[in-house]
Amino acid sequence: MLLQQLLNGVVVGGVYALFAVGFNLVFGVQRLLNLAHGAVFMTGAFVAYYTVRAGGPLILGFVAAAVASGVLAMIIEIVCFRRLRKSGDAEFGAIISSMGAGMVIMTFWQWVSQTQVLRFPFDTVPVVIYRFWGLRVSLLQLLMAAAAIAIVLVMAWFIYRTAFGRQVRAVTDSERASMLVGINPNRIYNLTYFISGALAGAAGVLVGLAFNNINFTMGEPYLMFGFAIIILGGLGSIPGALMASLIFGMVQTLSIAYLPSGLTTAFIFSAMFLILLVRPNGLMGREEAGSLRGRR
Amino acid sequence: MMNLLLGYQPLLDLFLLHLGLAYAQWLVLRAGVFSLGTVGLAAVGAYTGGILVVTYGLPAPLALIASALSGGLVALALSVPLARLRGIYQAIATVAFIQIVLSLNIYATNVTGGAQGITGIPKTVGTPLLLVAGAVTIYLMYAITRSRLGRAFDAIRQNEAVAASLGVSIVRHQTLAFVLSGALAGVYGALEAFHSYALVPSQFGFPYLIAILSYVVFGGRTSLWGPIVGTAVLILLPEVVRPLADARMLVFGILLILTINFLPKGIADTLIERARGRRLGARRPAEADTAKGS
Amino acid sequence: MALVLDNLSKRFGGVVASENVNITVPKGKITGLIGPNGAGKTTIVNMITGMLAVSGGTIRVDDTDITRAPADQICRAGLARTFQNIRILPENSVLDNILIGFHRHERCSTLSALLGLPASRRETAAMRARAEALLERFGMRHLAEYPAGGLSYGHQRRVEMMRALASEPEYILLDEPIAGMNDVESDALAVLFRDLADSGIGILLIEHNLRFVTRLCEHIYVLDGGRLIAEGAPEAVLSDPAVLTAYVGGEHA
Ligand SMILES: Nc1ncnc2c1ncn2[C@@H]1O[C@H](COP(=O)(O)OP(=O)(O)OP(=O)(O)O)[C@@H](O)[C@H]1O
Ligand SMILES: [Mg+2]
Repeated sequence: MLLQQLLNGVVVGGVYALFAVGFNLVFGVQRLLNLAHGAVFMTGAFVAYYTVRAGGPLILGFVAAAVASGVLAMIIEIVCFRRLRKSGDAEFGAIISSMGAGMVIMTFWQWVSQTQVLRFPFDTVPVVIYRFWGLRVSLLQLLMAAAAIAIVLVMAWFIYRTAFGRQVRAVTDSERASMLVGINPNRIYNLTYFISGALAGAAGVLVGLAFNNINFTMGEPYLMFGFAIIILGGLGSIPGALMASLIFGMVQTLSIAYLPSGLTTAFIFSAMFLILLVRPNGLMGREEAGSLRGRR
Repeated sequence: MMNLLLGYQPLLDLFLLHLGLAYAQWLVLRAGVFSLGTVGLAAVGAYTGGILVVTYGLPAPLALIASALSGGLVALALSVPLARLRGIYQAIATVAFIQIVLSLNIYATNVTGGAQGITGIPKTVGTPLLLVAGAVTIYLMYAITRSRLGRAFDAIRQNEAVAASLGVSIVRHQTLAFVLSGALAGVYGALEAFHSYALVPSQFGFPYLIAILSYVVFGGRTSLWGPIVGTAVLILLPEVVRPLADARMLVFGILLILTINFLPKGIADTLIERARGRRLGARRPAEADTAKGS
Repeated sequence: MALVLDNLSKRFGGVVASENVNITVPKGKITGLIGPNGAGKTTIVNMITGMLAVSGGTIRVDDTDITRAPADQICRAGLARTFQNIRILPENSVLDNILIGFHRHERCSTLSALLGLPASRRETAAMRARAEALLERFGMRHLAEYPAGGLSYGHQRRVEMMRALASEPEYILLDEPIAGMNDVESDALAVLFRDLADSGIGILLIEHNLRFVTRLCEHIYVLDGGRLIAEGAPEAVLSDPAVLTAYVGGEHA
């Protein structure tokens, strides 16, 4: 039973990873928090739903969702952040600006879906259950795990093994210096936001399939979970976000199974406060200087 | 004439209720605390007031005091982790706090009424009382602005190193600002509860947070006029331009993006700055012209 | 009665920014601290004022250990500073920038500040009067209402000095106070610094302008690569071969 829960947790964690890694990637590059990330995630679910509704195969819905969410994230960066980055107070401004963008996107989907809960047609993913070693795994779970692993691996390869990845890291270190060596930072930002959005969109499709419930508020809890995960993993750290997503997925499934229902969220965020109390920069975050706030 | 005024009374009430929360948000931002938790603290106050009145039959004025205390105390507890954090982390933690309050309110059904919330709250708050509350709030904010506290808040917000080097304790002042803001939010949460008949947990969620933030960002984050102008304009706008009423949240979203990008100081602060510029420009001494950048 | 740095050290990861630095800043005197760019002068000021954690050694003010005290307590122990990279409150007026300097002397209770009671209003008025006196002394009375962010660098530096003096420090640490000023302006400040020292304040003066330092200081310290390479009377120190090498080397680097 515990083993089964852990397995379920890992699958859920994989989906969180898709969401959180993109969230954290963007933060790592620009040091800005994109609060519209939950709305981008939701957009993925909606686009896939309407593609399947229109008769397209699921895989097409998946691709369309990733592309649409990627482009949306790119637009958010251009519209909401680009101007702000040149002014002094981008950290606060980005939170406000992206919160506004999230609201706009949410209202849009509320309007399109007419505040209805949408469900994928029955059998979009055939209900097949595999059993082994006394554990049960559904085809959907396998699909989710496979998609999550594949996407994260491709991403890791992209960031750590390609010229693009090197450029991303150069821009992260110093925008000015990277321009001197001929990198166009705006192109890099477009690409990183596209990737981050595409990952979120993919996560949206998987979550939409898993719970077969798509509605215009579905992004909110994931944004919150995204927060908890990056606090756990350290803002800006990709491996940290990956690890934290898996831990988070397991803790969440376990707490749903063993804690009084309804307390899960409160439990998770209280744990987050405890972590912040002990490690102000997140569990795996690096120490950022600052002796102004107390003893040295 | 009378009818016309009466028609606007609900709007005036709404303005006064939201103005209080806008000031609660304004106060923390002014002290450089990156808190977005105002509506969570308002929920704490509202529920404290609602439960005390409905379940325990306490008179409303006593319950109001209890709401202020509860908002302030929860803020005090929250300020312990917040004081150790900077900027973005404070924002994340306070948004999470809203979520905790929300889910606890839904979970603790026998105390809070769960998702159904609390109904049958006697309506004890009307326009006259709200006007008094508004006047008191504005006076308090004015007094703080003109005191050593306001000066310390301004210094911390603009440069923590400078503030600390001049003996301003950042942690103590930010905690104070946050606790005051929590008490204010608690009071206005309770006023909201006593003004309507019912409370539901979802009332204090993201849309409310965005509305409050919009008032402050759009109006202005530093001058005393900011929250007044922001709240007034954004509450009147959907009434004047009727089609906007259905798309209120869409308008707030778009306004947030536009304001922070193109008018980052908000309407009131920008106007005040312009006025000051004109006034000084008229008797500008030669030295002021040798501006920096040389 | 002095500010005493005893074997003060600071490492940033592998970079040694200061190592076993011993400096004494007596009251009523102007003590110079010079050295080429990157020598570690600002780092020392940051350590003294609690902006940077100390890696080793101690800092004492009149026999009180402040090595690990937080920045705001160090101010209350009687230390004030100016910043090399100017740090004013740009949105506030010049007058408000100075008013914040009086913070450590404001006594009225939090409650009376909150409620705007007469005690709080009287105190604010008294501080304004003192701020105006400082403005007079620095010849900036006419700029009192201007937003500090729009002033020239020279004026902004003076705003920082007034702000630091407002806290009525026993010791003041000036990090390149005359950078970017012309001779007339710096001469006026030289007179002012002399007056301050004569009134009993201990001054640590960091400056690249050696003529200025020589004119004002009786004792100077020379820092290079985080270590003290010379100290003593200005003429003796400036003719020290080690100092010459450091400066010539530094300027060509
Ligand atoms: N926060 C920091 N992190 C890492 N290294 C630092 C930091 N601050 C200073 N340093 C290094 O410490 C050394 C001393 O710097 P410092 O600013 O104290 O020099 P300085 O003598 O004030 O120079 P200048 O005359 O240019 O102002 C330099 O090598 C600098 O790069
Ligand atoms: Mg320096």
